[in-house]
Amino acid sequence: MTSRQHYTSSLPGPLGWLDTTLSKVEALVLSASVLLMALNTCSNVVARFVFGEGLFVSGEINRILIILITFAGIGYAARHGRHIRMSAFYDLLPTTSRKVAMILIAVMTAAIMFFLSYLSVHYVVTTFERGRILPALNIPIWWIYIWVPVGFAITGIQYLLTASRNMQSKQDVFLSSCVTDSYDNDTPQP
Amino acid sequence: DTWRYAHEEYEGDVQDVYAHKFKEYIERESDHTLQIYRFGELGESDDIMEQAQAGILQFVNQSPGFTGALIPEAQIFFIPYLMPTNMDTVVEFFRTSKAINERFPQLYAEKGLELLKMYPEGEMVVTADEPVTSPSDFAGKKIRVMTNPLLSSTYKAFGATPVPLPWGEVYGALQTNMIQGQENPIFWIESGGLYEVSPNLIFTGHGWFTTASMANKQFYDALPKQDQQMIQRASEYAFNETLKHIDGLADRSLKKIQAADSDVTVTHLSEAQIDVFKERAELVEKTFTEMTGSSGKELLMQFKSDLAATE
Amino acid sequence: MALTLIVIMIVLLLLGFPMMIPLTAAALTGFYMMFDGIGQMDTFIQQVIAGIRPASLIAVPMFILAADIMTRGQSASRIIDMVMTYIGHLRGGLAISTATSCTLFGAVSGSTQATVVAVGSTLRPKLLKAGYSDPFSLALIINASDIAFLIPPSIGMIIYGVISETSIAELFLAGIGPGLLILALFSLYCLIYATINKVPTEEKSSWLERWQATKRAIWPLFFPVIVIGGIYGGVFSPTEAAAVCVFYALILEFLVFRSLSYRDLHEIAKTTGLVTAVVFILVGIGNGFSWIISFAQVPQAVLDAIGINDMGPTAVLATISIAFFIACMFVDPIVVILVLTPIFAPAVAATGLDPVHVGIIITLQVAIGSATPPFGCDIFTAIAVFKRPYWEVIRGTAPFIAMLLLASLTLIFFPQVMIFSYI
Ligand code: NA
Ligand code: NA
Repeated sequence: MTSRQHYTSSLPGPLGWLDTTLSKVEALVLSASVLLMALNTCSNVVARFVFGEGLFVSGEINRILIILITFAGIGYAARHGRHIRMSAFYDLLPTTSRKVAMILIAVMTAAIMFFLSYLSVHYVVTTFERGRILPALNIPIWWIYIWVPVGFAITGIQYLLTASRNMQSKQDVFLSSCVTDSYDNDTPQP
Repeated sequence: DTWRYAHEEYEGDVQDVYAHKFKEYIERESDHTLQIYRFGELGESDDIMEQAQAGILQFVNQSPGFTGALIPEAQIFFIPYLMPTNMDTVVEFFRTSKAINERFPQLYAEKGLELLKMYPEGEMVVTADEPVTSPSDFAGKKIRVMTNPLLSSTYKAFGATPVPLPWGEVYGALQTNMIQGQENPIFWIESGGLYEVSPNLIFTGHGWFTTASMANKQFYDALPKQDQQMIQRASEYAFNETLKHIDGLADRSLKKIQAADSDVTVTHLSEAQIDVFKERAELVEKTFTEMTGSSGKELLMQFKSDLAATE
Repeated sequence: MALTLIVIMIVLLLLGFPMMIPLTAAALTGFYMMFDGIGQMDTFIQQVIAGIRPASLIAVPMFILAADIMTRGQSASRIIDMVMTYIGHLRGGLAISTATSCTLFGAVSGSTQATVVAVGSTLRPKLLKAGYSDPFSLALIINASDIAFLIPPSIGMIIYGVISETSIAELFLAGIGPGLLILALFSLYCLIYATINKVPTEEKSSWLERWQATKRAIWPLFFPVIVIGGIYGGVFSPTEAAAVCVFYALILEFLVFRSLSYRDLHEIAKTTGLVTAVVFILVGIGNGFSWIISFAQVPQAVLDAIGINDMGPTAVLATISIAFFIACMFVDPIVVILVLTPIFAPAVAATGLDPVHVGIIITLQVAIGSATPPFGCDIFTAIAVFKRPYWEVIRGTAPFIAMLLLASLTLIFFPQVMIFSYI
């Protein structure tokens, strides 16, 4: 889980470049949002304790960051095969059946992700039409929801890539387009 | 049909009483049934409002203060000393005000909502770590407010330091002296046990907690005339019954608080003390008109002339 | 309808779908059935976003980040080394040290998952080397992390406190007693296990070594002082404490120990973001699921059917315990607290139970459930971090779960266990 190898897209040419760049952007958004959240929350404590006055925008900034982390993160997690699943029964299957199951799972998951993306676009448009705003920052709320459909769509694409990778490769079962499904067999972890 | 109604409070609170009276009337006078959802069952205040706009809920109860993100003018109820403290005058105001009964329904209609009734829940009471009678007593005190620019402006004007904090952290923050005070209607101070950690009750007379019950406009407009009239009568009935409920509610809550905790002090500001705070309220009116532009200015004028007519 | 949804959920889960899919599929089916089509499914998205809105949720990434910084730097190992010099030589000492480290670490960390990562990565290799079996070691780590959930600060208590409007500070104090009780039970079991399996003991440390290890651990030991002192001194709220921990961990690892580089920080923050996203998407989707369940009035129907309104306080507590325990075997603890707490609120109020007592019981049940097969989230964390197969991770859990259930019975019948509470 602590591997530092960078994600390399399985797609050819400019699409592959786009995919790899997107992965870097996601990683940057994740780490920057997490650190900003720490900074923002601590600033609020300092502002209240030292200067006697809390920051009004602090809560709304954290709300934006949580959405960013979650929806930039689900795509990134799909890329790295990190979504939590219950694999007890699946693990018992022989490799070929696991491969078929994985293709099926990936295609269905992708379909549901695209459907959620479609619903989210709809919801963002509705929010835009209703004109709700964030009271302290005074910006329209639909702005901070834009990552939602994007995140679902990227996740869907990743699962499609997973399915195609599994169809192309002969032996390995892929959890994502770049991660194979295996446990380490040498015990202690470094 | 089964109609659905969501509000923002818990069992037995004022909005819940209103909703159940509304239900009682509708189910008695028609074949429709009303399913009531309380706080949290379908999400928070903003969520149920959106669901009502989407037509999933036929009715919703939301306090204008929370409606600020949707209808900025609704925050007018946060301007301190705009309303009288005397209960009878307040009721009279809600019944006769042009702003409430003519201007507000237009504002809500623009957002796809049929405003049924605006009604008061109770007088706002400040609790603090010591009794407060003047702006200088407020100096250096951190007072918890909801994340709302007008409320923050109010407590700045009163000389205190407003601190935005989610409701769930208020009790703990008062206990650890992270904040030194907060404001709420007295029945919430009683049911939330806030007097245990913030025992000095100050009746500043600066405002009433107001709320509003409404219907999805598309749903309402599509109803037959007789159903529309029945809903209007149900609102009127619920309004009157709720007024009976809140009449004396504050006194009952205060008695309970005083019986439960002997450290509690009660301070009623005198006319002269109130005047000092009132002077400062003009700053908040300015914030309000800056936020809402000409429409807010008009509404404020209408409010003031309605009040003059009542008093 | 409830039955259809449950069947969809279980089938998809067992097939090995990512956990967000069974929940989503069941929820969307619910919407389809309630509204005769897809017209109102926007509300599902609304509730997914609403699920990750509570301000207190920021405590989750912050605690994970703090724990990760301490684990990759030196703070965590310095604490663990110190504990080892004092009790490492006892029979079962290494195992007892693991439980104790979870307790100490719990005073910094608010989440069981972060504790599994921090204590487990450091101590599991040592446990295996010392001759403990892997299933025992994994089960010990997963279950001892429950203690971290009960020792303040605790994400579970923060979320329960927010929803039930109970004082989080009071919950925190009340959690200490039960946390220590579980530590005692586990230590006893470790002693018995080590005796039966003849695990060799470690060499005893000299007082000089102890003094040196303590000195090395002195800065990290300030964590609990800062957290508890800051909260009860009114400097910051329990949620903010998490971010302050991050800040202190950064100061220690970058300025005092100089053990991390800025590159590491990017890496750590990214991993934190990833883990947070994987959990939060479930929190969000779980919220969407609970909305449709609540809209269809399912929980009320179930509770009415079992007659909760005619129950006495003890029966209500037992029902709450069972419901939370079972739910946590399937769903993320945060989601469970979010969904079930309001449902039981009327019964709690009607029977006059102390909300702090109820909160501690819920926190304990949720922690137990999170380590209980089939779907406890700590099991998944362990699978993800230690890269072991599912079966091996759960094989040794039974005795621990039995002890934890004993602790919850004690808590139900003897609330006095909460020795540090105000009552
Ligand atoms: Na903890
Ligand atoms: Na656990």
